Amino acid sequence: MQKKTNNILCAEHLVKTFGSGHTEVRAVDDVSLTVARGELVAIMGPSGSGKTTLVSMLGALLTPNSGAITIDEEEITSLGQTGLANLRARKIGFIFQSFNLLEALSLEENILFPAHRSQGGVTAAKPRVEALMERLNLTERRRALPKTLSGGEMQRTAIARALINQPRIVFADEPTGNLDSYNGQEVLMILHDIARDQDCAIVLVSHDPQIEEVADRLLWLEDGEIRNRKTERHSWVRDPVCGMRVDAWTATLVADHAGKRYVFCSERCVERFKAEPVRYISLTEPTNTQS
Amino acid sequence: MYKWTLRGLITEPVHLFSSAGAVGAAFALVLFFEAVFAGESDQIVEYIRRTDPAVWVMQKGVSNMHMATSFVWDSKADQIEAVEGVSKATPILYLNTVIEAGDRNWFSFIVGLPAGDGRAGPWSIAAGAAMPGATEAVVPAVLARLAGLELGDRITIAGRQFSVAGLSDGTFSMANSVTFVAMEDLSDIMSTFGSFSYFLVDAEPGTDPEDLAARIRNEVEKVNALSNEAFIESDWKIAMQMGLEIVGIMTVIGGALAILLTGFTVSSYVSRKKRELAVMKALGVGNASIYVSIMVQAGLVALIGFIIAVLIVFLAIPVTAAVIPQVTLSVRPEALLKIGAAAFLVAIVAAILPARSVMRVDPVLAFRE
Repeated sequence: MQKKTNNILCAEHLVKTFGSGHTEVRAVDDVSLTVARGELVAIMGPSGSGKTTLVSMLGALLTPNSGAITIDEEEITSLGQTGLANLRARKIGFIFQSFNLLEALSLEENILFPAHRSQGGVTAAKPRVEALMERLNLTERRRALPKTLSGGEMQRTAIARALINQPRIVFADEPTGNLDSYNGQEVLMILHDIARDQDCAIVLVSHDPQIEEVADRLLWLEDGEIRNRKTERHSWVRDPVCGMRVDAWTATLVADHAGKRYVFCSERCVERFKAEPVRYISLTEPTNTQS
Repeated sequence: MYKWTLRGLITEPVHLFSSAGAVGAAFALVLFFEAVFAGESDQIVEYIRRTDPAVWVMQKGVSNMHMATSFVWDSKADQIEAVEGVSKATPILYLNTVIEAGDRNWFSFIVGLPAGDGRAGPWSIAAGAAMPGATEAVVPAVLARLAGLELGDRITIAGRQFSVAGLSDGTFSMANSVTFVAMEDLSDIMSTFGSFSYFLVDAEPGTDPEDLAARIRNEVEKVNALSNEAFIESDWKIAMQMGLEIVGIMTVIGGALAILLTGFTVSSYVSRKKRELAVMKALGVGNASIYVSIMVQAGLVALIGFIIAVLIVFLAIPVTAAVIPQVTLSVRPEALLKIGAAAFLVAIVAAILPARSVMRVDPVLAFRE
């Protein structure tokens, strides 16, 4: 009983299919999971395994074909569009791979944006935004527009935006995907601290192997099902640009050069590599190559 | 949400002003045509306005001058002057016809003036005489310039030769002009011996024109009498009616263009900002809030378009006067109100176009790279 009330998220037998007949794809197949308060759960798996579909359903963005989802003791699969929108505004925070800041608004306005839908509105959220900017080292950039921010600053802003309404649970989809290893590590540590300090559950989808160092629990999703992780399938290599350890088997960021394939931790590293491939190959060859 | 809407517009000034400019051009087109017809109508009644008698007397059943024919027996002159409050009744002859001048035909109102009485004559003279003698004509200075006429040149009115004796100001418009000749000459042309077309009735001081018109109608048989104000209104309406269809068609075309342009602007904005809209929905913003902000945006585009249209038309007034003097523009407050109301409607209708796109934005899109 105690354990049940401690759970923020409870999903039972979730199924999501796309298409019909011969073209039907079972993106999520009978997935059940629970996430407790203060827990940081990582969902990993190969590309196309259904991670984003699962997180979209858990985050009340996508309705499952069958199964039940309870967030903070509220059953959400029966809610209409308005009810789901209210639930997302009050209880859920989102962090996206590509930051998704509103480009016309300043850093501070981006953080405050969801507060319009919260109890007490923007006025009540003002002290919280100050605290979040202070904690995430953003105070001096409060009036800056997203286009002038670095990747790390944009993702920290997105984290602050996800937390402004004091959500019960935060869903992060590849939050380090567009960051270099230093900023990626920093973002993961921030998420880890948030789960610990704010009693807020965090569900994180990532290919980033660094996540294993901060996650309380790791779920392996493959072909839409949660399975035991096949550790023997790891193929660790170094990102030729930043030197970060990358699992070549699950990595999706790749670039080909001179007949060989290289894998990367982030888009930024791919771009740097493509600009000067010879420079990076000479540093790392032959460690990071995939045939 | 509104901050996002406004900033979104301001941060894309090229998009905003090109769209609002196009909407403004559509509205300006409507306003311009309206102004042309209003200006022409003003010009058509300019003779009545400028001569400014208290009352106009005409044949019973006639209530205007433009495109009308009126005959009143000369014996009515004494009866009109006998009515209490009348100080003077000046007769004129009047004919709608064409003037042949400078290899062109010019539609004109020909006014026949009684010898030695300039009461009903031109109010401003650019050159030459104000009162035409026998076989002489006083023509508009603008017509003379366009037709290449000078004082002493010959023109033909209803098949008769006249020489240009004077040039008048303020008597020309695209639709018609006012030419003055001696009453005897016009009487010959019209074969109307013993009758006049209209009487310009001046009143004793302190006499109410409406009351005087009513007294003349009661006391003089087979005539109609209208105060100057009522006569102007009657003629102005007829002149405007002639342009109503064209103005109406232009309003529909301009309005439809403005709706399409505003709708396209807002739709393309929605399309460009699809990802941001998906993020907003993921963060809990409802369709209704997004839709209202889209409507506000359409309203702003229409409002800026309206302001641009008004500026264009007010700038066009002096430019038109300098470049095309025969065109008179008149922007009426009613026309501005009409276009303002049209802009409001345009915003509402244009915001409906992208509504479906807004509704269909999937918040899951926020998760996609």
